[in-house]
Amino acid sequence: MAYLVPSEFVVKMVDAGESKIFMSTRDTLVRAYMAGAILALAAWFAVTINVNTGQPLLGAVLFPVGFCMLYLLGFDLLTGVFVLAPLALWDKRPGVTLKGVLRNWGLVFAGNFAGAFTVAVLMAVYVTYGYSTEPNAVGKAISAIGENRTLGYAKYGAAGMLTLFVRGMLCNWMVSTGVVGAMISTHVSGKVIAMWMPIMLFFYMVFEHSVVNMFLFPSGLLLGAHYTWMDYFLWNEIPTVLGNLVGGLAFTGLTLYATHVKTLPRREAIRRVA
Amino acid sequence: MLTVRIGQHSDRGRKEVNQDFHGATIPEGPPLSSKGVAVALADGIGSSAVSRAAAEVAVRALLEDYYCTSEAWSVRKSVECVLAATNAWLHSRTQQSPFRNDMDRGYVCTLSAVVLKGTTAHVFHVGDSRVYRLQGGVLEPLTLEHRVWISREESYLARAMGFNAQVEIDYHALPAEEGDIFVLATDGVHEHIAARDVIAAVDSAADDLDAAARAIAAKALDQGSDDNLTVQVVRIESLPERESHGLHERLMHLPAPPILAPREVIDGWRIVREIHGSPRSHIYLAVDTRTGAAAVIKTPSIDRREDAGYLERFLMEEWVARRIDSAHVLKPVEPARERTCQYVVSEYVDGQTLAQWMIDHPRPDLDSVRRIVEQVARGLQAMHRLEMLHQDLRPENIMIDGHGTVKIIDFGAVSVAGLSEMRGAPESEGVLGTEQYTAPEYFLGEAGTPQSDLFSLGVIAYQMLSGRLPYGADVPRSRTRKAQAKLRYRSVLGGDRDVPAWIDEVLRRALHPSPQKRYEALSEFVHDLRHPNPRLTGRPATLPLIERDELRFWKVVSAMLALALFLMVFVHFGH
Repeated sequence: MAYLVPSEFVVKMVDAGESKIFMSTRDTLVRAYMAGAILALAAWFAVTINVNTGQPLLGAVLFPVGFCMLYLLGFDLLTGVFVLAPLALWDKRPGVTLKGVLRNWGLVFAGNFAGAFTVAVLMAVYVTYGYSTEPNAVGKAISAIGENRTLGYAKYGAAGMLTLFVRGMLCNWMVSTGVVGAMISTHVSGKVIAMWMPIMLFFYMVFEHSVVNMFLFPSGLLLGAHYTWMDYFLWNEIPTVLGNLVGGLAFTGLTLYATHVKTLPRREAIRRVA
Repeated sequence: MLTVRIGQHSDRGRKEVNQDFHGATIPEGPPLSSKGVAVALADGIGSSAVSRAAAEVAVRALLEDYYCTSEAWSVRKSVECVLAATNAWLHSRTQQSPFRNDMDRGYVCTLSAVVLKGTTAHVFHVGDSRVYRLQGGVLEPLTLEHRVWISREESYLARAMGFNAQVEIDYHALPAEEGDIFVLATDGVHEHIAARDVIAAVDSAADDLDAAARAIAAKALDQGSDDNLTVQVVRIESLPERESHGLHERLMHLPAPPILAPREVIDGWRIVREIHGSPRSHIYLAVDTRTGAAAVIKTPSIDRREDAGYLERFLMEEWVARRIDSAHVLKPVEPARERTCQYVVSEYVDGQTLAQWMIDHPRPDLDSVRRIVEQVARGLQAMHRLEMLHQDLRPENIMIDGHGTVKIIDFGAVSVAGLSEMRGAPESEGVLGTEQYTAPEYFLGEAGTPQSDLFSLGVIAYQMLSGRLPYGADVPRSRTRKAQAKLRYRSVLGGDRDVPAWIDEVLRRALHPSPQKRYEALSEFVHDLRHPNPRLTGRPATLPLIERDELRFWKVVSAMLALALFLMVFVHFGH
C-alpha cells in the first residue's frame, strides 16, 4: 500500500507540526533559508519559460519542480508551517505554546525572505550582466509582474486589498493540500504527483504565495521597477501572508483536524481503553 | 557468521605439577551470536598446593557460567558478574582453609580471557598472564602484568583472583578483524620468548594452531623457563555481517498485515476493535477464538513498514518484553499458533494511559504522583538490571489499570546492551524518543544511560505536578553543549498548586541537563520523593562562582590575570 490511512497521516501532521516547534533556531533558519531560495529559483525558472514560450501554462506545469525539491530535502516554507504548527497547539501537545508557534512562524518568515532575496540579487546580476545593461526580457517581465500586483491592487483600494487577501487564501489552500498529499504517500513518486497537482493549479491561477512574492517583488525593485518597498509590503506581502495563514488553516488544517482527529469515534475508544 | 580456529597447549615444563588451566568454548547455534566465543587461561601461584584447583575453577566457571547469563547483558557485565562470583568463592575457600592468613598458600590464581562476540574482542585480565594480539605481522601485548617488584629479581602478584573479597578486573574492547590472532600465555611462556618467536611459530604452523602453541611453549622451555607453560592461539577466520543481529530473520520476511477491521480473524485472533492508530503502529483489542482470552495485537504502521530499522525494533518489542519479569512492565502473550504476518501480541491492560490520567486529574495530590512514579521506576529498574534502556518513556507509554497498577507498555525504542554488541556497528538512529521527554544527551548524539530514563521519568513527574515542562520547549532546541549549558530549570513551585519546596529540589536534581549531575540511581530519586533530603534542601541559594559556573570562574580569573599583566607592562614601559 503506497498511501496512509487517515488515522496515520493526521497524527503524522500533528507530529510534524510539533517537531517544527521544537526545532532549534539554527535549523529552523537554515531550512527556511534553503526553502525560500529553491522556491525563488523555481519561480524564476517558470517566468523564464513563460517569457520564452509566451505560454503561461507551460510555466505553471513546470513550476512545481521547486516545491518538490524543497519538500523532499526537508526544508520549510512559511505556507507549510502556517498549517502544521498550530495543529500541535490544538492537540494540546505538552510544551507547545502560542509563543512557540509564533516564534516558528517568525523564524521561517525571516529565513524564507533571506533565501528568496539572495536569489533575487543573483538573478538581478544575471539578467543585467552585473548591472551593466538594461534587464533582459525576463527581468522586464518580473518588473512588470511586480508593478501589476502591487500598484494594480492599490488602484482598487479596499476592494483591491480584499482581492489580494482572497488570492492569498486560495493559494495556501492549494499549497497546503500539496503538503498533506505528500505526507499521505509513502513513495517519492507518489509524493511528487501529490504535490504537483495543487502547485500547478495555484501557479496558473495567479494566486498569491507569500514566499514566491518574497522573490518576485524584491527582484522587481532591484531591477528598477516603479513601486516602493512600502508598496510591496502594504499592497502585497502583508495581505498575502494573512491570506495564506487564513486559507491554509481554514481549508486544510482545521478541516482535516476537525474531521479526522477531533471527531473520530475511535478517539473516544483510545481515551477509555488504551 | 563468526568462525574461529583455536590451538592450545599446556605443559608442566620443569615443574613437578602443572598448576595452569585453560579452556575455550565455541558454542553452536544462537549462543554463538548472542554470547560469542570464550577463551580463558589461569595460572595458579606456585607456592600454593591448591592453586591448581583455583585455576581450574576460575576457567571452568567462566566458560560455563558466562553462557548462562542473560543475552540482554553486555559481555563486560556478564563476565564481570561471573568473575566476581568466582572470586568470592575462591576467597571464601581460602578463609575456610588452614592458611587463611597466608595468601601465598590459598586459592589464588591469575586469569586472562578473550571473548569474541559480533565484531568485537573483549579482553579481561587480572594477574601476570598475558594476552597478545597479532595483526598485520605486529605482536602487541594487550595487558599489563599486575606485579609489584621488590627488587630487580623478585616480585609478587599485586592482583589476582581470590586475593581479596573484591577483585578489580582490567577490561578493554577492541574491534576485531578477520585474520586477527589472539595469543594468551602464562608467565612461564611470555617471560621467556620474544615477539619474533611467536610470529615465526604462528606463521610456520599454517592452519595447525595446536602445533603453533606447542612450538611457542617449546621455545620458552628452550630459553630456560622453569615454570608451567600454557599457550592458546585463537585466529578469527570470519566475522558476522555488521547490519543485523538476525534475531527476527523469519518474522522480518513475513508479509505486513493490512489495516484490520473488527470481526476479522487473523491466526485465530478475532479483532474486537482498533484501540489506537498512529504513524508508529496500530493497536487492536482481540480475543482468542478458542479460549476467549483478550489480548492486544500490535501491527506495524503503513508509514514505516519499509523502514528495516523500524521493523527490527518493532519485532524486538516481544523479545524485550519476554525477558523482563515485572508487574510494572507489559507481558507479551506467547503465540500458540504460527504467525502468518507481522504483529506482536501482548496482555490486555484494562485502564487508561497516563496521558489521559493527567487530563482527568489536572491537580493530583503529591501521593498519587508518587505512587505512579514509584511504579514506573520499578518497571525501569527491572529493565536496567538487564542492561536495557527504555529511551522513549512518555505518558502515552504508561498505562494505569483499574486497580491503580502502573505498567510500561511500549518497547519500540529499547536499547539492549547485549544486542547492540551483536550488531557490531554502533547504533546511529538519531533520537528515538518523544522530544519533550527525551534527555538532553540524546540531542548531542550521545548514547543513553540509566540516567537518561531517569530524566524522562523526572519530566513526567514534573508535568504531573505542574502541568508544564521543566525546560519548556528548550531541550530539543539545544543541540550543542554550549546551548545546553544555558538550559535553565524552571521551578515546579508557583502557580496555585501545593507542592512542597523540597520536592522541587528533588526534581531539579533528577532533571539536571548533565547526566552526571543527576541521581545515580532511580531508587535514590524515589526515596527522595518521600523523604526530604537535607543535603538538597540545605543548598544555599548563592553558591560560590566556581561551583555555579566553573567556566565563568576561570574566565574571570584569566581576565584578571590579563589585566594585571597589562598593568605591569604599562608600569614597566610607562616611565
